[in-house]
Amino acid sequence: MALRRQPLSAPRPGDTRPAAQRLAVPLLLLLGLQGAAAAGGPEDSGWLQDAEPSSRLLSQAARAALHFFNFRAASPSALQMLASVLDGRAWVNQKKEYKFDLVFTTEFYSAEEGEKRLGKCSAQVFFRNEKPRPSVNVTCTQLVKKERRQKEDYQLYKLMKQLKSPLNAVSIPDSHGYIAPSLRPIWDLAFLGSSYVMWQKTTPFLHYYMSQISSVKQWKTNDDAIDFDYTVLLHEFSTQEIIPCRIRLVWHPSKPLKVTYHCQERQTPEEASGAEDGSAVAPTGLSNF
Amino acid sequence: MKWILFFGALIGSGICDRETFSGHQVFRINVRNGDEISKLNRLVNSDNLKLDLWKSPSAVGHPADVLVPSFSLREVKSFLEDHGLEYLVAVEDLQTVLDNEDQQMQHNVRQELSSNCFNYGAYHTLEAIHNEMDNIVKCYPHLASTVEIGHSFENRSMYVLKFSTGEGRQRPAIWLNAGIHAREWISPATAIWTAKKIACDYGKDQAITSILKKMDIFLLPVANPDGYVYTHTHNRLWRKTRSINPGTTCIGTDPNRNWDSKFGEVGASDNPCSEIYHGAHPNSEMEVKSVADFIKNHGKFKCFIDLHNYGQLVMYPYGYTTEKAQDADELDMVAKNTAKALASLSGTQFRVGPIATGIYRASGNTVDWAYDNGIKYAFTFELRDTGHYAFTLPADQIIPTAQETWLGLKTIMEYVQDNI
Repeated sequence: MALRRQPLSAPRPGDTRPAAQRLAVPLLLLLGLQGAAAAGGPEDSGWLQDAEPSSRLLSQAARAALHFFNFRAASPSALQMLASVLDGRAWVNQKKEYKFDLVFTTEFYSAEEGEKRLGKCSAQVFFRNEKPRPSVNVTCTQLVKKERRQKEDYQLYKLMKQLKSPLNAVSIPDSHGYIAPSLRPIWDLAFLGSSYVMWQKTTPFLHYYMSQISSVKQWKTNDDAIDFDYTVLLHEFSTQEIIPCRIRLVWHPSKPLKVTYHCQERQTPEEASGAEDGSAVAPTGLSNF
Repeated sequence: MKWILFFGALIGSGICDRETFSGHQVFRINVRNGDEISKLNRLVNSDNLKLDLWKSPSAVGHPADVLVPSFSLREVKSFLEDHGLEYLVAVEDLQTVLDNEDQQMQHNVRQELSSNCFNYGAYHTLEAIHNEMDNIVKCYPHLASTVEIGHSFENRSMYVLKFSTGEGRQRPAIWLNAGIHAREWISPATAIWTAKKIACDYGKDQAITSILKKMDIFLLPVANPDGYVYTHTHNRLWRKTRSINPGTTCIGTDPNRNWDSKFGEVGASDNPCSEIYHGAHPNSEMEVKSVADFIKNHGKFKCFIDLHNYGQLVMYPYGYTTEKAQDADELDMVAKNTAKALASLSGTQFRVGPIATGIYRASGNTVDWAYDNGIKYAFTFELRDTGHYAFTLPADQIIPTAQETWLGLKTIMEYVQDNI
């Protein structure tokens, strides 16, 4: 299960890192010392607790946890999004590791009007050395019973199977924010795949939202899986950059999700810069591109 | 006017056949008994007179309305007088009435069409927004006017609506800024709805009427017209201006990093390919310079509000630093009340705080500049949502967003009015 990943490109001349990253050192100085002991760990790595973690910081960490949760659940009909953070604590140490302890509420991603249901999650999120792909430990209350979830996933699966390939669908949602009901399953599946990518790319300073699907294709597979190839535009908040990511996912209800992706990072003034690849559950027979 | 029912058909035929009713009159004839009714019928039925019975006498004592062509006037009058029938001339010249009615109706139709063409619950092109601004001025000429404060890089108009109840005096003023980031479509959409709201509610709503008695409101719905057009024609997620950067193919500057306030410091980039590129120097962008110059030359702005999306935040200075602004406590209180008023409509929750901690550190932004140039009440809104639809907020959320935002804006404006 090899994870192929290029190291993040080092800052180039004129390439301004997100402002938040420059906060790292002064942040250490600003943190209220709350004793060296962090909750839940006898090992003393010199954790300093942030006396007043900003709600923004906690929300970002909660979202990262949710991306991971949604990916692991692999259920496009039961995607959840952040409602609000109920409680959160943050620590950082001199090794520039960040730790978060969170309790937050969630809502259905595809909630229809009137179908407001709040779930609750607790999570621990750990960033090593300001790097992306945090370790996440997350448990959520079950918003939907397993049977219903499986049933709806299967319905979505059947809908996708019936779609003609190639789909030739572009821009979901359209410029006016509209998603045609027939395209809704595509959006949900894309969000599922994007959740993996967004979790992979999130750092203490970079956090992502899915903006738009800019192209989509569906490939045939020999087994019964949905083989789904699409380009999604991710929005990174602190740099405001739009990052196109080509994502390929292979999905079958109640089976682990297989995702490969290739994101195009922002150009420098001279040339298009590097790219970031990743894959999960390295599939046999599928190659990276 | 009951006549409209009669005239409706006439106008139609009038326009089509170019028939004229010049000199035609409408007689209102009293019928007091059965004998008079039969005399009236004899009159109306005579072929050569060409009379048209508009309203037949439903009962004795109720008058009849008869259209009498000009060539029959003398005969009809003789008949009525000879037979002792009471009458009066209800319409002296039908064509005149039709002409006036036609004009009024055409005006109404045009009005309705133009305001019905502009659906406030949809996203619009730059041209449509500018046209609607003109319509608002046409409808409310004593309150609204437009001001062209400059041009964009691609020579589009920087078009501002001015709401003022005081002629010729430089009154304390409020600036509402929208659409500075091209992809944030909900911002111009909210702004144009707000413009209509201000115009409609003046004289009816106590709060806005009172504000306008004391202060002028300037509203710029599309502060980045080139970028906005580009999001319609090429790239829905474009953010910056469309100015050319020498030595690179990367286009545009982030107009919300280009203001002359701690320019080029943290939270902005010197890389022209970056979405937060601050530009070659402060006010390098014509779009920014025209607003900055206008506000400085005016000299009496007391409040500056900038509308963005997304994030659901009400924020105040500073963006360039996490250090507290001098008036931070007061601004925080106002911002909290603003968020509360906004939430009162649909429960939409907005967080409150200074820009630097609310979203991120950002130098050279509108609100820092306004504050450092003597405009104490400087706020920025990040409107709906919190990332679900983000920039492509569905159009069915425009009006709910605008309505709740209006409650927030009024809170700020009322506070400003009471504290200047």
